[in-house]
Amino acid sequence: MRKQALSGILGVLAAFAIGALVLLFQGFNPVATYGALLQYSLFGGSGFTATVTRAVPLILTGLSASIAFASGPVNLGQPGQLIMGALGATLVGLFVHLPSAFLIPLCILASLVGGALWSGLAALLKRAFAMDEFIVTLMLNFIADYFALWVITYPLFDPSATSPMTRPISTAAWLPDLGGVNTSVVFMVLAAVVCWLIMSRGRSGYEWRMTGQNSLFARIGGCKVDVNYVRVMLVTGALAGLAGGLMIMGGPHRFVKGLGANYAWDGIMIAVVANNGISGTFLYGLLFSALQQGAIGMELVTAVPSEFIDVLQAVVVLVVVAGRVSLNIVFDRLATRRKLKESAG
Amino acid sequence: MNVLFGLVSAMLVGATPILLAAIGGTFTYYAGIFNIAMEGMMLVGAFCAVLGSFFLHSWFLGILCAIAGALVMAGIFVLFAVRLHTDEFLTGIALNLFAVGLTTFLLRDIFHVKGAFTDAGIRAIPAARLPLIEGIPFLGRLLSGYNAIVYVAILITVLSAFVIYRTRFGLRLRGAGYNAECLSSSGVSASTIRIWSLIVCAVCCGLAGAYLSLGYVRLFAENMSAGRGWISLTAVILVSGNPWGIAIISLLFGFFDGLTVFLQGSRIPTQFTAMIPYVATLVSLYLYSVRRKRQA
Amino acid sequence: MARDVLIDLRHITKVFPPDTVALADVSVSFESGEIHALVGENGAGKSTLMKVFYGLERRDAGDIFFRGAKVEFRTPREAISAGIGMVHQEILLIPEYTVWENIVLGAEPVRAFGRIDAHRAREAVRQKIGEFQFNLEPDALVGDISVAARQKVEILKLLYRNVSVLILDEPTAVLTPQEIPQLFSELERLRDKGHTIIFISHRLDEVLALSDRVTVMRRGKVVGTSAASKLTKEDLARQMVGREVLFTSRRLPQKPGEIVFCARGLNCSDTEDRARLHDATVDVRAGEIVGVAGVEGNGQFELVNAIMGLAPMTSGTLEVEGKDITCADILARRALISFVPQDRGKMGASVAASILEDAIMTHHVLDPSFSTGRGLGLNYRRAAAFTEQIRKQFDVSMGSVGDRFHSLSGGNQQKVILGRELLLETPFVLMDQPTRGLDVGSIEYVHQLLLDLRGRKRAVLLVSADLDELFMVADRIVVVCQGEVVANLATDATSREEIGYYMLGGKETAHAETGS
Repeated sequence: MRKQALSGILGVLAAFAIGALVLLFQGFNPVATYGALLQYSLFGGSGFTATVTRAVPLILTGLSASIAFASGPVNLGQPGQLIMGALGATLVGLFVHLPSAFLIPLCILASLVGGALWSGLAALLKRAFAMDEFIVTLMLNFIADYFALWVITYPLFDPSATSPMTRPISTAAWLPDLGGVNTSVVFMVLAAVVCWLIMSRGRSGYEWRMTGQNSLFARIGGCKVDVNYVRVMLVTGALAGLAGGLMIMGGPHRFVKGLGANYAWDGIMIAVVANNGISGTFLYGLLFSALQQGAIGMELVTAVPSEFIDVLQAVVVLVVVAGRVSLNIVFDRLATRRKLKESAG
Repeated sequence: MNVLFGLVSAMLVGATPILLAAIGGTFTYYAGIFNIAMEGMMLVGAFCAVLGSFFLHSWFLGILCAIAGALVMAGIFVLFAVRLHTDEFLTGIALNLFAVGLTTFLLRDIFHVKGAFTDAGIRAIPAARLPLIEGIPFLGRLLSGYNAIVYVAILITVLSAFVIYRTRFGLRLRGAGYNAECLSSSGVSASTIRIWSLIVCAVCCGLAGAYLSLGYVRLFAENMSAGRGWISLTAVILVSGNPWGIAIISLLFGFFDGLTVFLQGSRIPTQFTAMIPYVATLVSLYLYSVRRKRQA
Repeated sequence: MARDVLIDLRHITKVFPPDTVALADVSVSFESGEIHALVGENGAGKSTLMKVFYGLERRDAGDIFFRGAKVEFRTPREAISAGIGMVHQEILLIPEYTVWENIVLGAEPVRAFGRIDAHRAREAVRQKIGEFQFNLEPDALVGDISVAARQKVEILKLLYRNVSVLILDEPTAVLTPQEIPQLFSELERLRDKGHTIIFISHRLDEVLALSDRVTVMRRGKVVGTSAASKLTKEDLARQMVGREVLFTSRRLPQKPGEIVFCARGLNCSDTEDRARLHDATVDVRAGEIVGVAGVEGNGQFELVNAIMGLAPMTSGTLEVEGKDITCADILARRALISFVPQDRGKMGASVAASILEDAIMTHHVLDPSFSTGRGLGLNYRRAAAFTEQIRKQFDVSMGSVGDRFHSLSGGNQQKVILGRELLLETPFVLMDQPTRGLDVGSIEYVHQLLLDLRGRKRAVLLVSADLDELFMVADRIVVVCQGEVVANLATDATSREEIGYYMLGGKETAHAETGS
């Protein structure tokens, strides 16, 4: 655990250093840039709360990818599952009329189901036809994207709007802000806790982890590998769907084109850099959210395009992941040297 | 008749980037590398092609820039996955995300636009006319006049079949994939072979990217590769890396890609026609998987 | 006969992080034109020493002299150009390529543009085959030929590159008793032609039969070098282990009880509908150890998979204690069968997991004391206590239960696996090569465990490629050849030669009365 934290911190610092070089190369001032980043993400009234709110889809999709990768299935379909979850919540929010106490849970359920259905489709194709879920989930992303675009351009189109989007969902399904922070954070934290309980304390979590590390061993040990596969796909799809639903309910309250399925790709990245750990995903999710939130302010102050953050994020991932391996090599070499001294002396 | 020519033309246009990337992917496939960074290489290639063509006023230099950009991506892959022994899958994913981020960032930073950059100053790759074949009444129109890169792609396909199956390099390349330890103990460095395969893949993906942005359009749009890298990867897996099989599959995907454009005038909503290549990929994966399951 | 010193290794030291000193100040010299055996138990360092010499591993201290000059082989390629070749224990060939492609790989004759000159390659290979009288067909696919033939291809690959020194790492491990003399005569022919042969082995009879000189290693140090003619098997064993070693069986006579495990008429086919297991029938009684012998690839793997439920059978029945498990899923079988698989890392454990996590597999679902929270949770405290129980009962040397499994030595890993499986307290125990790759101390431990199980009236089916092991612990030996059970003999009534005969396909009688 300590090795993880060390490689994480070193990696992030190294990535920031590389980012500074890129900035210098393009003629920007790294100190001012990072300063603005820090200021707009964590300090100043709206910065911190916005960061926390923004972290919701990042952490949820990150958890989805983490659990999937740790358990075996290569679920890269979080973007599509997020969209389907958002669609589910939108549908219920548009056509079901109930008071908040019932509508909110129902919308959340719809988002869970939407995401799970989409990932379940990939799981079905794998189980029935041995189709590799890696490719299937990727293709389903594109299909979901276009499907949603069609839905909000034709059937559910808001006639009063000038670009593809649906009408707003019933206000009873809107998630309010509490002290600047959107209540969707509550659901995110709840989901994160449940994930942690399952993976660290649950029997399923144990079986899933063992299957992810060595599926033959798990199978010989009596784990129902096939059933677990489907369960993991459904659960991780539901998590990504939840992200989509919460984004609709807490954010624009309607399905807008360009909703931000990009969050899902960031989520995948977060899982990778966190080495599929639940708490790591949570922390890195907050970090990336801070970077993204601060980027807008950074652009205002220093004119560095906010897309610089995308580069910085990818560099963090590369450096931390590579650093993890290198750190192991370094530790091994230190251990060798120590042992040589012992046997010689 | 025009419909036929239009369809064939659309088919070749759609097939070419996939063919190029997939041939590159073949080399890394045989070398035993799980290379999923083709999408990113193509995207960077497309961007650098526009960069080079615009600032250096030459489509040829644009192509060279595209290849250079893709080589840089390959270099990063080599650094992390080969030298530092990072997991190839993770490196590939990170590289793809890096490519998207970098190209979008530079699009804003250098060209000061969001979404897409197009300008009269971008020199496109010209079409090539085959002097002798042109004259033939029917075939001439069918075979001549395509963009130069289409012919380059065909040439590369033929060359790669020769290299992989008949040369010393090819024997060692496939050996690296079958049993890298055996190759190393035979005195050939498997790492070196892998690096060479990545270089070839980068050149091919760079060309594919250049074709995307300088071939039949003259622009760079965010995330322009639109999943073609993934489709190429699927193609490589489906035919287990055989260049001829890849040519056929690419034509098939090109057909569906062309169908998308063709159907845009019809009453089917554009969103559904846009789905066609991805659905086609799923269908071919289905056919492949079912056949494999039957064999097992 | 005085020969020149060809290879001189001085003060070689090698450490594997974090803790293992594989070679401690090792100095050995090899003379030209001799067959020199390097002997020691598993883990003594003999393979490591040669890998360091050959350029596969980097040494941490010491010098290497070849033909009087100081050398450093950083890669095998450099060693091969100097005329030194090594044949590894795991045969490193490409099954998808033909014999000649495998032999010329890395030194291919070429025409223009790097195009391989297949004709010239085939001719060169054919010429070498004739020169050394190996029986090989250049165009055969390596995947299709026998293991002994593949070994010959490996040797020929080196001879094609004109090596004068041949290092062979445990070459007889993959051969039947009948194939070994042929290998030995080939090696002697090579020596007579002037080649130098270094022969790594732990099989003492072979070492004494073949070599001119013998060097014994133990725990990373050299114990001594002497002429083979001056040594006995007991001398060697004593030097290898450091104490007297018994070569006789410790099996006490015992009358077996009821049939516990019963397999009848098992049939399995592979993807091409070839029969991998044909009409196999095996019984194991309580208090009995039944050994399964056979050349690798003759159906043992399929038998194990069929028993465990990992691969489907086309027909046949399986019973444990009268319960029919023919169609039972793997979990149901695990309630009745303990299984120690062949490959620790691939099937027996997850090397990336913690020791605790590997120790509780199967127990976590079969043992209710591991469940909490209404069956959803895993009681990690119980798990830790259970792992500690394994540590104490099976004498496992480890740090804490949270350490990574791969930090344990091979012997300790196997002990954890054995502990886990045996604490399932099932009536039937299936073990597949349980002592592979272990040091002598661990091997003795496993044998004692097996005999204890037998004493406690459990039924054990032991699949093993080591005939010595089978003769030491098994009451009966079953031989599989080409998927069929061709012999079922009482150990005390047969001999290694007879078993070898059946392993190679001799099929006169399935139940011989006496063999001599």
